[in-house]
Amino acid sequence: MSLSPQRRFVTPEPDESIEQLAERALPGEPVAAAVDRIKSWNLHIFAMRRPPGLLLGGDVVFVEPPRR
Amino acid sequence: MMFDVLIRNGLVVDGSGEAGFAADVAVKDGRIAQIGRIDGPARQVIDAAGRVVAPGFIDPHTHFDVQLLWDGAARPALSHGVTSIVPGNCSLSLAPLRAADRPAVVGMFQQIEEMPPEAFTTAFDWTWEDFAGYRAAIERNLAINVAPLVGHSVIRQWVMGEAAQARAATPGEIAAMQDLLRECLQAGAVGLSTSFVDVDARGRPVPSRFAQFAELDALAAVLGEFGRMLQIVPEFYDTDLTIARIDQLAELSLRHGVPTTFSPVFDSASTPDNVPRTLARVEEQFARGARVWPQMQTRPIDISFSLLRPSLFFARLPSWIRVLRKPLDERIAALSDAETADRLVADVGPDGGARMMGELIVRGGDAAPTALAGRTLGEIAAERGESPARALITLSLEHGLDVAFLAANRGHDDTGRIGAMLAHPLVHIGASDGGAHLASFATYGDTGYLFSEFVRKAGALSLEQAVRKITADTADIWGFKDRGRLAPGLAADIVVFDPETIARGEERAVFDMPGDGMRYVRDAIGVDTVLVNGAVAYAGGAYTDARAGAVLA
Repeated sequence: MSLSPQRRFVTPEPDESIEQLAERALPGEPVAAAVDRIKSWNLHIFAMRRPPGLLLGGDVVFVEPPRR
Repeated sequence: MMFDVLIRNGLVVDGSGEAGFAADVAVKDGRIAQIGRIDGPARQVIDAAGRVVAPGFIDPHTHFDVQLLWDGAARPALSHGVTSIVPGNCSLSLAPLRAADRPAVVGMFQQIEEMPPEAFTTAFDWTWEDFAGYRAAIERNLAINVAPLVGHSVIRQWVMGEAAQARAATPGEIAAMQDLLRECLQAGAVGLSTSFVDVDARGRPVPSRFAQFAELDALAAVLGEFGRMLQIVPEFYDTDLTIARIDQLAELSLRHGVPTTFSPVFDSASTPDNVPRTLARVEEQFARGARVWPQMQTRPIDISFSLLRPSLFFARLPSWIRVLRKPLDERIAALSDAETADRLVADVGPDGGARMMGELIVRGGDAAPTALAGRTLGEIAAERGESPARALITLSLEHGLDVAFLAANRGHDDTGRIGAMLAHPLVHIGASDGGAHLASFATYGDTGYLFSEFVRKAGALSLEQAVRKITADTADIWGFKDRGRLAPGLAADIVVFDPETIARGEERAVFDMPGDGMRYVRDAIGVDTVLVNGAVAYAGGAYTDARAGAVLA
């Protein structure tokens, strides 16, 4: 049985910054724009967390908006 | 043959899910000796006419880690028919843990599981550091069976020290964690627990959240050597995140041949597609051969609290938590300070707490005036000309903060929907959190509630299906090979109950814990007798002196 498409995500590499992650996840986009998009799709990291934006090794980082 | 115990004339519901049948059950040397019409003599005969005789219930998600050190029955869990429990969930366990790291981990238990720190410092001698030492400490006094998980956060803490909450592990550190996990599994741990949501007493993510997926993968490889369980707490407030975790668990399950489970899974009117989407993904992953068991509790979400101590109720109000963490005299002073009180009220929101606090019910039975018991805070606030948040503070101050409020039915309370979910063949009934959240809600009696609400009232499951869900299914999911069924040769973990009355009692406050002493409990209703490894551990409404519980390694 094939898996239905779900929201795509990546997990951080060791010591990876949000800028590096954004470049990896959204290649070809200007870094600043890619970071903004990543932030907007991951409020659990960039809005709810204290301190905001603290990237953890175990994080799920979505690389696209919600599908529904 | 002289049997030790003979349970006669009962309806045997053996855990298989098949229809119950009239039979006697004989017990000898801790095992079930015979099932059928049995005339042999026995040292103790129990008349079970009109009663169900079933395998002891298994609770796969508890935090009895510390309580077991002074209470080997995990009261009142055993009285509800629970004969086996799994502590060590959510990345936290009491071993392996160096003495110097105890305060930090106790703080995590306090923050995450709402357990008073005094419970860890006043009721027992903390002599061990390794897992074998913890096992030996609890084994001396067990009336209930214990299948302990080891926590990822404490394993990380042991290997990495303060860096456990700062960075990724090096390959050498991951190898050391693998060795340590292997040692714990050899000493009796039944799996590893981890968390993706929890924070410590200082609000920092717990150590397990700093782990790369590669670290979890390496630890799952060790679980695969033993065929043991991986338990996680996903970001249960978001369905997309939960599905991402399901997919990660599925990869680990397939790669290493391990069972995995995640909890909690809540239904809510505000997110009605959460459970359906979650279960759809679980079904897809099972179809691939992965084992990813969603754990679901039976009870609705009710939260009680007073301003005498921090509470889960204030989880999204850090300013309130900070005040409630102060010593009592400083806390009263802070709440009495007009500026502080104004800030707290403002932090609740522009509606003055009408939405969050207006429907709170004054519980009664404490320092609150009797006339207020059962009334809503919204009504009381209106009479006082205050906002609900302000009234919460002023009413509490007027009575030494000893005024308890109940936030009832805050989710997971639609019996029709929940019943269908619990009956789903892939839903693993559990997530009781037994032994935790002491001053927020009673984590006991979920099994009784399964029968009263979902078997008798809603008819969502048959009696036999419900028994199977919390006995044989649980044993199979966790690999407890001689538990969860009534059959000759298996361990004699048995509960005798009245199918017409089994239920959970009303939630009530008791003062039997170390430290500040208070917790909410629910008494068992309709449970006559509980046997653990062939010994009668509970009968006629009282615990016996039997200490036949074991670590289910």
